[in-house]
Amino acid sequence: MKKVLIVDDSISVARQLDKILSESGEFHVVGHGKNGMEAIRMHQTEHPDIICMDMNMPGMDGLTALRTLVALDKNVKVVMITSLGGVGDKFTEALRLGARTVISKPFEADNILNILREM
Amino acid sequence: MAVKFFGQFLVEKGVVSREILLQAIGLQESVNLSFGATSLAMGILTEADIERVHNAQRIEDLRFGDMAVKLGLLTGDQMMQVLARQKNTHLYIGEALVKVGGLQADALPKYLDYFKADQAQYITDTVTIPAGIPEPKVWEMVVDLSYKMLTRVALLVFRPEPCFVAERLPAMDLYAAMDFTGDISGSYLMGVTAATRAKIAKAILKEPNVDNEPKEVLDDTVMEFVNVVMGNIAAKAAQIGKSVEIAPPEIIDTPDGIPVPAGHKALCFPVCLSDGDRVELAVFIKE
Repeated sequence: MKKVLIVDDSISVARQLDKILSESGEFHVVGHGKNGMEAIRMHQTEHPDIICMDMNMPGMDGLTALRTLVALDKNVKVVMITSLGGVGDKFTEALRLGARTVISKPFEADNILNILREM
Repeated sequence: MAVKFFGQFLVEKGVVSREILLQAIGLQESVNLSFGATSLAMGILTEADIERVHNAQRIEDLRFGDMAVKLGLLTGDQMMQVLARQKNTHLYIGEALVKVGGLQADALPKYLDYFKADQAQYITDTVTIPAGIPEPKVWEMVVDLSYKMLTRVALLVFRPEPCFVAERLPAMDLYAAMDFTGDISGSYLMGVTAATRAKIAKAILKEPNVDNEPKEVLDDTVMEFVNVVMGNIAAKAAQIGKSVEIAPPEIIDTPDGIPVPAGHKALCFPVCLSDGDRVELAVFIKE
């Protein structure tokens, strides 16, 4: 079972994602981080296979954290899940920094599962 | 289910890979030159002129072409010539994908039609913005997209009330707010009753019952709704050439309502729900 780390300052989004992933029986959620710093720390301690991360978070934002995560581990698999997915510049920047893809909020459960299954 | 741009849509549908999309974007960036670079290529501005315009833009918020005219570096006719050159040579992402081999040219119209059908739900309907509000088209989009998200994300049934300019927002059980900066600046605010907050929480959490949820979770669902609305507004704004950066959402504790901050105008666009409750929606627009 693939281990997934969820990073989002919203408790409700983290809960929603946790429910989708856990109920699929294919993914094990290893933790919730609330900002970019927690993403970096939990990547070191939890060793997730995939990180699902928001962009717009207080403290360290998702793109800054992504840059650090890729520098620390060039094979890290990060999917950005964000309300800013439709902003072309943000989408492109995330891909250039090494995100595997960017999913816009509001998201659909099937879309998330299909993308994570292919990683 | 969200506002997207064409390249993102194609990646999500598995039509092109992220690597091909990045190649196409790189090609676009090499072809679609800025106003200054186009003027330089046309030989009507020098690099020193461009630097002068950039320095002046740090002091006064004007577009490059308008500033170049103001400084006497370009005539109005020359500015129009540069804009025409930019328009005539613009490479759209679909065309760029064809050029880098990511899409067949004859398949492009089909995918554009799919994309337009997917995004048709976000085309702005007519909203009347009161006189005196600058850039009414932008706020029309903000109001309309808020209504669409209330229906599709919060699953609320409502009747919009006319938009108006106010001095103060009325007291509500809860206000969630988000600051935004860029080509438009200000704050987006949404005030709800406890009953409406519960409805939003059910829709966001996809739970039939939220009676036992802690206040922290219920409040968070309203903040997340505002986050989704503003993120999609930023995406739609980008499509009309306006750059918008958003801050994380927050809860404002204001038992007596919210006064409009100095230097701002408040555009209010409340809605009346089918159960009689109101949702106060407003933007404090920085003047």
